[in-house]
Amino acid sequence: MKISKSIYLFFIPGFLLYSVFFLYPTVSALFYSFTDWDGFSPAFQFVGLDNYERAFTGDSIFRKTIGNNLKFMLVVVVFQTLVALAFALIVLKNTKTTVFLRALYFFPTILSSVSVAFIWSFIYDPSLGILNQLLELVGLGFLTQNWLGNADLAIYSLAMTQVWFHAGQMLIIFVAGLQAIPQDLYEVAKIEGASKWQTFSKVTWPLLAPSATIVVAYTTIQSFKAFDLVFAMTRGGPNNSTEIIATYIYEVAFRGFQFGYASAISVIFMAIIAIITYVQFKALRSDRISY
Amino acid sequence: MKKAYSSIMLVLLAMLLILSGCAGQSSSDSSGEGGPKTQINFMHWRGEDKAVLDAIITEFEKENPDITVEMTIYPSDQYMATAQRMLQEGSTGDVFTSFPGAQFESLQSAGVFEDLTDEAFVSNFDENLISVGQKDGKQLALPYQLVFNMPVYNKGMFDELGLEVPKSWTEFQELCDTLLENGITPIAFPGADIGPNQFMNSMMMNNAPDEEIFAKLQSGEEKLTNEWWVKTLEDFQLLEQKGYIQKDALGTNQDAAMQMVASEEAAMLATGSYHMASLIGLNPDLQLDLLAPITVEEDEAQYEGINTATFMLAVNSNSEKKEQAKKFIEFLSQPEMASKYANETGQHLTVNDVKYESDVLKNTAYWIDERKTRFQPRFLITNAQIEDAVLSSIEDVLGGTAPMDAAAAAQKIVDENKE
Repeated sequence: MKISKSIYLFFIPGFLLYSVFFLYPTVSALFYSFTDWDGFSPAFQFVGLDNYERAFTGDSIFRKTIGNNLKFMLVVVVFQTLVALAFALIVLKNTKTTVFLRALYFFPTILSSVSVAFIWSFIYDPSLGILNQLLELVGLGFLTQNWLGNADLAIYSLAMTQVWFHAGQMLIIFVAGLQAIPQDLYEVAKIEGASKWQTFSKVTWPLLAPSATIVVAYTTIQSFKAFDLVFAMTRGGPNNSTEIIATYIYEVAFRGFQFGYASAISVIFMAIIAIITYVQFKALRSDRISY
Repeated sequence: MKKAYSSIMLVLLAMLLILSGCAGQSSSDSSGEGGPKTQINFMHWRGEDKAVLDAIITEFEKENPDITVEMTIYPSDQYMATAQRMLQEGSTGDVFTSFPGAQFESLQSAGVFEDLTDEAFVSNFDENLISVGQKDGKQLALPYQLVFNMPVYNKGMFDELGLEVPKSWTEFQELCDTLLENGITPIAFPGADIGPNQFMNSMMMNNAPDEEIFAKLQSGEEKLTNEWWVKTLEDFQLLEQKGYIQKDALGTNQDAAMQMVASEEAAMLATGSYHMASLIGLNPDLQLDLLAPITVEEDEAQYEGINTATFMLAVNSNSEKKEQAKKFIEFLSQPEMASKYANETGQHLTVNDVKYESDVLKNTAYWIDERKTRFQPRFLITNAQIEDAVLSSIEDVLGGTAPMDAAAAAQKIVDENKE
């Protein structure tokens, strides 16, 4: 079939939008990352690679944000994937509560991040918060914590909020993946006398691998780019223990008026995400399994 | 083929129309009854003042039928980021507000402030309180609000327990001990948000009475590991270790801390005068006043408290409606309007001849001219990274780190960022 050249004109609107909202800002960030622009004054000077050198050798907070980001990402990826998978397996069973459970698990996803931040800040409050009160109530008072005020704990508390907020989204991907698995395979496994674990490990999981790859990759990128929850709940504190790259870029640009330096961090940030995504797809990619 | 091109053109035309619709409407001149009106935009961060400002604007529009005022309000944490962009364009913020300190410096270096030095309405303001809006001998902005960034205390409770405002660090600790003995938390400290950046001011004001101390820190002449800051951190440590601030203070936000004081679980709120109206709202029976901890002996104390002249009114130099914008500031600075604003928002102002009506404002007005207060030291840190380092060292100490170690860690960041 011959495709008319005029069809390429249909790409123009999309390309224009892509250029305005992605290409132009990206190129601008790259350009300003070599300057000392304060984000406001019309004048600026080219400083070469100074901003990059500062990020890697002269800014201990930036290096700390990378560590914080990695901790946050690891916790979110592991828990969000497991929780979403567990939920998906639960809601896939045809019980009377299936519809209710699907709605329940998906509910956090429809909330705004600011609402979630407000709710969880209240839950985590050390004296008024319901989490500590609940622990006291069930006799686990020794587990009560200063969830957001403890510098060693705060990043994990935020990560768990992120898991609660986004697990519902991942649930949908897993449910779609699970529904695509032919029921015949389960029947065969049953006839062969496979245990539940064997069925899961030999049938469900291998065939769910493409969905899991998407979930892990998406969760990784999403958690690395997290901003709103962290900003609203802790603003990077206490003592920079929850400062992640995205919040730090905001601080440097909009509180520190160092747009040139913030642009350099943004470029590094983009490179980190690109590398992680590439490595993940390489590592998680597997040949499609079929039985 | 012709049909295909027509369809494409239609799609592009539709997109153009949608995009031009998104571009918004012009907020400049508009016509109304009685002739053309000029619309000016007033940009600020005080969402809580919207109702009273709406009422004031209505009166302004009555007096100036050729001008209308539109308000654009951003929350204070977004204001720093958003406002600066808008001001640069000149389409928004004909009249705008600025924070003192780093934002004022940044805006003035970008030339956004119209020089107000020769405007007659400048004399409506207390000349001692507007210097923070000056640069190179020019009055670029006029601080409207006068805030005292020092603890609010329950005066009624103090009277009941026979307690007096302490004049030294020793007396302050004795006061806290008495409160503890009576089952009251001495200080509600909102460490999760504004506590460190507010309380640091009064905690350090007499440990480092030199008002140039942070300028020297930024230039490398001073260090956080020097006695003035280590002593301040030790004082914070003492407050935490002796239970003078509540347990897990770093997880407490300002709403929770206010609730502690409103319910009389705590005697002092480590924030500032701007919370007095809210506290009275939560518990109308409270009698409140202000006190700052004196962290030295009585004869060494140079300051009694902290002030900040803020909500600085300014005219955008990029505006095409400067005269109308100045008229609006002139209107806001009339004692009658300023009194209305002060009483309905529970704020002290820098405007002369304001008549404070509420008990809280009347009872604390003596801080304006009878007490020796100093301008909020934190606002004299013009580098945000250095400010964060200073605040982080407080959080570090409250989290259990030794004061000298916390100071050294913070000084490392200062060294990375000093001018």
